[in-house]
Amino acid sequence: MSDKDDIETPVITEASSILEDGNCELAPNPESAEQSAKPEVNSEPVVFTRKRPESRPSIDLETSEVLPVEASQAAGKETVSKDVPQTGWGYWGSWGKSLLSSASATVATVGQGISNVIEKAETSLGIPSPSEISTEVKHATGETNAKDNANSSPMTGPFGVFSTISTAVQTTGRSVISGGLDALEFIGKKTMDVIAEGDPGFKRTKGLMNRNSTLSQVLREAKEKEELWTSNEVTVETDKKTHYGLLFDEFQGLSHLEALEMLSRESEMKVKSILNSLSGEELETLKHELEQLKEAFSLAEFCEEEEEEKEGDEDFTKEVTELFSQLHVSSKPEKLARARNNAYEWMSTSLGKPLEEKEEGEKQLETEKTEQISKNSIEDIHAFAIRSLAELTACSIELFHKTAALVLHGQKQEVTALERSRALSQMTIVLCKELSSLSKEFTTCLTTAGVNEKADILNPLITAVFLEASNSASYIQDAFQLLLPVLEISLIENKTELPEA
Amino acid sequence: MTYAYLFKYIIIGDTGVGKSCLLLQFTDKRFQPVHDLTIGVEFGARMVNIDGKQIKLQIWDTAGQESFRSITRSYYRGAAGALLVYDITRRETFNHLTSWLEDARQHSSSNMVIMLIGNKSDLESRRDVKREEGEAFAREHGLIFMETSAKTACNVEEAFINTAKEIYRKIQQGLFDVHNEANGIKIGPQQCISTSVGPSASQRSSSEIGSNSGCC
Repeated sequence: MSDKDDIETPVITEASSILEDGNCELAPNPESAEQSAKPEVNSEPVVFTRKRPESRPSIDLETSEVLPVEASQAAGKETVSKDVPQTGWGYWGSWGKSLLSSASATVATVGQGISNVIEKAETSLGIPSPSEISTEVKHATGETNAKDNANSSPMTGPFGVFSTISTAVQTTGRSVISGGLDALEFIGKKTMDVIAEGDPGFKRTKGLMNRNSTLSQVLREAKEKEELWTSNEVTVETDKKTHYGLLFDEFQGLSHLEALEMLSRESEMKVKSILNSLSGEELETLKHELEQLKEAFSLAEFCEEEEEEKEGDEDFTKEVTELFSQLHVSSKPEKLARARNNAYEWMSTSLGKPLEEKEEGEKQLETEKTEQISKNSIEDIHAFAIRSLAELTACSIELFHKTAALVLHGQKQEVTALERSRALSQMTIVLCKELSSLSKEFTTCLTTAGVNEKADILNPLITAVFLEASNSASYIQDAFQLLLPVLEISLIENKTELPEA
Repeated sequence: MTYAYLFKYIIIGDTGVGKSCLLLQFTDKRFQPVHDLTIGVEFGARMVNIDGKQIKLQIWDTAGQESFRSITRSYYRGAAGALLVYDITRRETFNHLTSWLEDARQHSSSNMVIMLIGNKSDLESRRDVKREEGEAFAREHGLIFMETSAKTACNVEEAFINTAKEIYRKIQQGLFDVHNEANGIKIGPQQCISTSVGPSASQRSSSEIGSNSGCC
């Protein structure tokens, strides 16, 4: 990957290229990136309508400061996990990697149509080096802290968990930045700001996942921020449509995630107490078997990068159904398949983008197509893309939750926990791949529909779709990890017939 | 869109008593006679208005099958209200109430408001459990009681809303610690704690809450 070189790209180049575009709502230098998103700059209809409170580092500052900048790519992540009190969710420590690699792969394999857009985006965005980010962060810490406190305090008070998270954010700010460096290499600090605009939870999520808050708490907080915002301002309907967190909740993604976490936590406790009750050889054998399960759960990450290479267009529905049948649980992935097919159908019918399997798309006359295209503004496409991603992710998490429930339900098992783990791991890959190709389709649509738009209007929308897609992928991967304790307990119970703890 | 509070509810009770139908009637205002068995838990949400305050009810509709029992218990945590449902045409569903109640009390906050619901009140001809029996059980265990019909929508709205009123009353009385999420209550994103809580305003009497409207 060429990211290495990109890091070194001086920030100054970006300033000039943006100015060339004539519209400077993207700030000309990183210091003012902070300000760029403030409400007074309101030229953009969708993305730049508000300033989200950003949390800034305070405590972790020294830790990361010690790091040599050159090593920050790898070390940044390590720092994060060292800082973090490790809970049972050791795996979460690595979530950022897979997320980011999928993000990178996504962007890198974008179709021909939009490669120039991306290129343009990248050159105009500029990629600050980690050291620049660090200094900038240090710079910004003082002023933003005060601002953030003012912004968030009316809502941090009210409920317990929320305020814990908020403090965590205040203190993890630093880790957020270092953890996000991989992404920064890629898309640049500017885009992070843009993304933060489109997804308030994004930065927060990254940092927090490494803390001991749960995924649903993080998402919930992000959603609440969005709710707060939507309720505080006179909201145009279209604004609401692009809020991933709100949509994700609307599709019951949050609830299913919370339920899955409950099952996971309970299973984890049971596993621990059973392990404590065992000793000697019995314990060793069990530990060994659990280790195998764990391996199956760490597979997803590695495979993902390889799989990303082959662009085979196997039928998603078939693949998922097949994997599901391997699980031997009675739940069916129909809802998920429907959500996914709806997304493609929408693109094919409303954009006249012919899809092989969709005949209606082909029947359309060329004139109709162009008419249709002009009818759907890039904002419409963007909104639908975000909605589809949220729906697909919610359905995936629902599937995982149902799977957990059915596995725990303890029907007669024709398959071993290990086999199930492998199928689930494969499923996670398929789902993430699907999200990635869906986002590619959407951005291609955006590029086609927005061919006459200014880059600074189009690019943030495209980036937002990619980033929500990679966020989605990471939510799915995190949800997948929640299944590990469930399968562990299933393995144990199936094997030992131990009474429930 | 925005709300003052969010209450988490659970719906519990034997399989086939109409839990999912009650939820569907409450959230979608429709009745579906044939329902798939619920796996684990399903969800629904609706906004209600109590005392001029918007309250979001987040409802966890649990599986009633005995084999899911140990799983559904995990979902009880952090519920502010519970609808404990039996079928007035099947006595055994009434007989199992004690065990459901024990479960609920054991796995959730002691302040949880429990509404006992005798469902299928439209099937008067097949009634197997007298209304008085339901009332007596509720009195004995400190529950609110209503008979409902998910089919005709009779008292469905009331069942959910009266539970919310009771929770709200407990908040007003300071019985619920709204800061503790384990109680199943969250303050809406816009709310400022100082203005919205405190044992003040509402002098709602609890007798009003348990009252049945005449339709069943």
